[in-house]
Formats: sequence, C-alpha cells, structure tokens
Amino acid sequence: MVVDPKLSLDWSSDTPVSPLVERYSQIRLKQEGDSWFLVLPNQSELEGKSSWSELWQELKHYLQGREKSWQPRTSVSLLAQDQLLDVQQLQTLAEILEEAELCLETVVTTRRQTAVAAATGGYCVEQNKLSQLSLTPGLDTTTTLAEPLYFNQTVRSGIELRHEGSIIIFGDLNPGGLAIAVGDIFVWGRLRGLAHAGAKGNRKARIMALQMEFTQLRIADLVARSPKFPPKTDQSEVAFIAGSGICLAKAVDFAKTHKFSEQYGIWIDR
Amino acid sequence: MSRIIVVTSGKGGVGKTTVTSNLGAALAKLNRKVALVDADFGLRNLDLLLGLEERVVYTAIDVLAGECRLAQALVKDKRLNGLFLLPAAQNRNKESVSPEDMKKITNALAKGYDYIIIDSPAGIELGFRNAICSAQEALIITTPEIAAVRDADRVIGLLEAEGIHKIYLIVNRVKPKMVEDNKMMSVDDVLELLAIPLMGVIPDDERVIIATNKGEPLVMGDEDYIPTQAFMNIAKRLEGEKVPFIDLLSEQDNIISRLRRMFGG
Ligand SMILES: Nc1ncnc2c1ncn2[C@@H]1O[C@H](COP(=O)(O)OP(=O)(O)O)[C@@H](O)[C@H]1O
Ligand SMILES: [Mg+2]
Repeated sequence: MVVDPKLSLDWSSDTPVSPLVERYSQIRLKQEGDSWFLVLPNQSELEGKSSWSELWQELKHYLQGREKSWQPRTSVSLLAQDQLLDVQQLQTLAEILEEAELCLETVVTTRRQTAVAAATGGYCVEQNKLSQLSLTPGLDTTTTLAEPLYFNQTVRSGIELRHEGSIIIFGDLNPGGLAIAVGDIFVWGRLRGLAHAGAKGNRKARIMALQMEFTQLRIADLVARSPKFPPKTDQSEVAFIAGSGICLAKAVDFAKTHKFSEQYGIWIDR
Repeated sequence: MSRIIVVTSGKGGVGKTTVTSNLGAALAKLNRKVALVDADFGLRNLDLLLGLEERVVYTAIDVLAGECRLAQALVKDKRLNGLFLLPAAQNRNKESVSPEDMKKITNALAKGYDYIIIDSPAGIELGFRNAICSAQEALIITTPEIAAVRDADRVIGLLEAEGIHKIYLIVNRVKPKMVEDNKMMSVDDVLELLAIPLMGVIPDDERVIIATNKGEPLVMGDEDYIPTQAFMNIAKRLEGEKVPFIDLLSEQDNIISRLRRMFGG
C-alpha cells in the first residue's frame, strides 16, 4: 500500500500553476566564495507585484529568521539590477542589513540614477551592463539548487518565505504563512499554512512536517487541500506525488518504502 | 525608567480600548503614574471609555502643531490619582501624524510617567505604524476566534520585524462554558498557535459593556468581579508579580457569589 486510505487527500491536478511560482524569490542573500550578495529582483519581476515597503518588510523577516552563517560586520554587495533606487531607499536598505550585522558596501547597478544615488550615499559603485551582470559566475541558479534556507522562527500569518533551494523551518508554519521552495520543505513543528515544494516543477520534491495540519500543500503543479476532517495522528508525515496525486505517508518509513520513478515522475512502492 | 507599551490586535472590536482603559486604571491603583495615549486618530474613543470626553480641550495634534504644551493636552483623571489621558483628534486627517511625531510625544511623556500605554487602531497601516513606532513592549489582544487569532499572528510577525520582542498575549471575551462544550477555541489553542507568553485572560462579561457605557472603567468599581480581578492581575503581572491565572470555569457567576456580593461579602 502506498498510502493508508484514511490519509488520501482531496486533490486535483487541473488547478493552474500558482503565479506564486514566478515570484518565488523576490529578494535574497547569497554567498559566493567569501563574498555576500543581496540580489534584488529586476523591474520586470517586481512589476505591480509588491511595493518597496513590502519588499523591505520581507527582507526584514528573511534576515531575522535566517540562520546567521556570516561574521558580524560582513560586507555585502547589492545587486540592484535595473531597479531605480534613491539615496533614502539605499539608506533604508543599509539600516535593515545593519540590524542583521551586515554592512552594505558596494552597489552593482545597470542604472545611472541608482549609481549616482549610491555614490552620493558613500557606497562603492559598479555600474554594469545587464549582460555583464548575468555573467557573474555562479549567480545563475536555474539548474542547481541553492543552499538550504534555515529559518529559525515561526512563520507567522502574512510572512512569505521563498527560496531557490530547500527550506527548513525550526518552528511552526502558521495559517496564513507561506513557504515556497524549489527544493524540499521540512517543518520542524506544525505545518498549518501553505507549503509549496518543487516550485519550479520538480515532482520529486517532498514536504515533511512533524505535524501535518496544512491549509494547502502544493508540489510542482499539483495542489492538495486539507480534508474537512483531517485524521489526527501524532506521527510525522511526508507529502509526495504518487500516481493518484499528492499523498501522505508516515515519514519514518518513507525512505525505505518508496522510491522515485523518473520514468513516471511519481513516487512508487519499493 | 518608564515603560512604553502598545496595545494592539490587528482586528477591530476585540477589546484594545477596553483593556487600555482598565489597565491604565489598574496600574494607577497600584500607585503608578500612567499616561494613556489614544493613537486611534480619526476614531478616538479612549476618552469616552474613560468618561473624560467632556474634559478634552486639546489633543496630540494641537501639541504637535505647537498650539499648546503637552501638559495642557493631558487630561487628569479626577477619580484616580496618577491616571492621565492624551486624547487623539477626532476630526483630523489621520495621515497628518507620522511615526516621528509619535516618537516625539512618547519620548516627552517618558520623562514624567512610569507607564505610557498606547491604544492602537485596528489594521496594519499608518495608524498602526504610528502606534508601535516608539513602543518597547506590546500587549496583543485577541478573542478566541480564528479571524482574530490570525490577525494577531500577523501583527506579532510585524512587531518582531520591527525589533519589538517583548510581546505578551491577552485573550479577551473568553466564554468558559463554550470552551467546555468545544464550541470555542480554548486559551491553550490560542497560545499554541501564537507562541508568546500569556499575560491575561478576561472573561466575556456584560458588566464590561455596562462599564463602557457608563464611562467608568470596570476596575474603578467593585473589586469582586472576575473581569476586574483579571485586569488587576494583568497590572500586577506587568509589575513583575507572579499571579496565578483565574480558573474561569469554576469562578462562573454562581448564586453563591452573587449572594455574597449582595450582602457585601
Ligand atoms: N471582556 C468583555 N466582555 C464583554 N464585552 C467586551 C469585553 N471586552 C470588550 N467588550 C466590548 O467589545 C466592544 C469592543 O471593544 P473595544 O475595546 O472598543 O475594542 P477595540 O478597541 O479593539 O476596537 C465594546 O463594546 C466592549 O464593551
Ligand atoms: Mg479601540
């Protein structure tokens, strides 16, 4: 048996892929060797989707919850892409980074106005052509997953975590909270909000939680809503794609009982 | 050292203003000097609940505009020594106040008061930002309802992002009988989700509404009432005292406690 029938979910695969996938990562901190980069989305990615204040809010949550793997006063280069930033906005950004013991040092931009603002604000400036920017080694992660994101606090209502790799949450994912990962999602607590693993289409992605009480789960382009009367279990569970859609199984046995079939793009019994 | 505490919730109508007025009165009863700041610009009603409406002459806006001194705008409560109110303007555009303005006011108040308690408006927009910008601590008010708890969770996230980490929970309007019958979330359910320390539990009680309508915070009246005790306990806990939580179910208004009150026992 792949899944205990009690646990099978109300699922549908005809739900269109969430637009969230496209905006899975608006702002992110990356390490390349010894250097740290804060990457802003480019204008077309941000268009009409959120305001700067929302973006700053998101950055604050992100930096606070993220496991600090950097030394105090680590300097950061801002990859501002084609965004227009004024002195005030750069100042706000620098202050937010400072709270996380990061120090804004260099601004890399394709826009003259942003370069001028950065220079006025006393930062090092690199004015780059778009093409050169995308040549920066290792910054393009379309094929490989990023390092996992460790988030060390409860993901509360209104908080959205998006990451190009796997997400590990030490705490609960509350109703109204959102975690979207290109890789897997692990919740070291209760999963009560919305989790989307394999957000770029990876059907092998899994979602695991010590306690599954989700509002909605998504893996790749499949959606599972929570059943009206979810069976209560004290076991930790894992959600994955099987032949019938998204299924749940006991997490302890999963690695032994299941394997992924590349041919069918589903998890099958061993 | 004065403490600046914001009372906030996200959702409206859950009891922020009720808690602010009663907590202010309770702390004043414990001989503290308290300034209550109405940050609900445009919809002021803290003065109403305190029964001070007709004594309001100036408001925070007049202070900011330089039309009066801060001391002139503060309304002193004649019933309780040490309780003061800084009213909000009712008719002014709420956009006319900025977080910097609020900081100016609370910093000035901090020099003369033990507690500055800010009554926040509902929502998470500018009015909310104004209310929280100078706070060092926050009291989150919620009722045991899913929508209220969800909003409270959102607000806690925003406060944490603003670097406010002393955040405490007050669950208001609890109906023990309904909880017992599994028709209402229990305080434990709420706590499990919000995961912040509990500062108080207030039962749903019509006397709270009666007091509101009289313009006299419940705490100023009979000390025997359970909600009154609940408010006093919150004040004591803020003062650092360890006070056990009242078992609301066993303390329900039974005939005996009613009789006891009738005969002044
Ligand atoms: N514990 C309670 N029991 C009964 N009614 C209450 C209680 N707390 C608040 N109320 C009532 O709920 C209404 C809203 O309260 P209020 O303090 O104005 O909420 P808010 O300031 O959050 O909008 C008021 O009519 C008030 O009397
Ligand atoms: Mg109010």
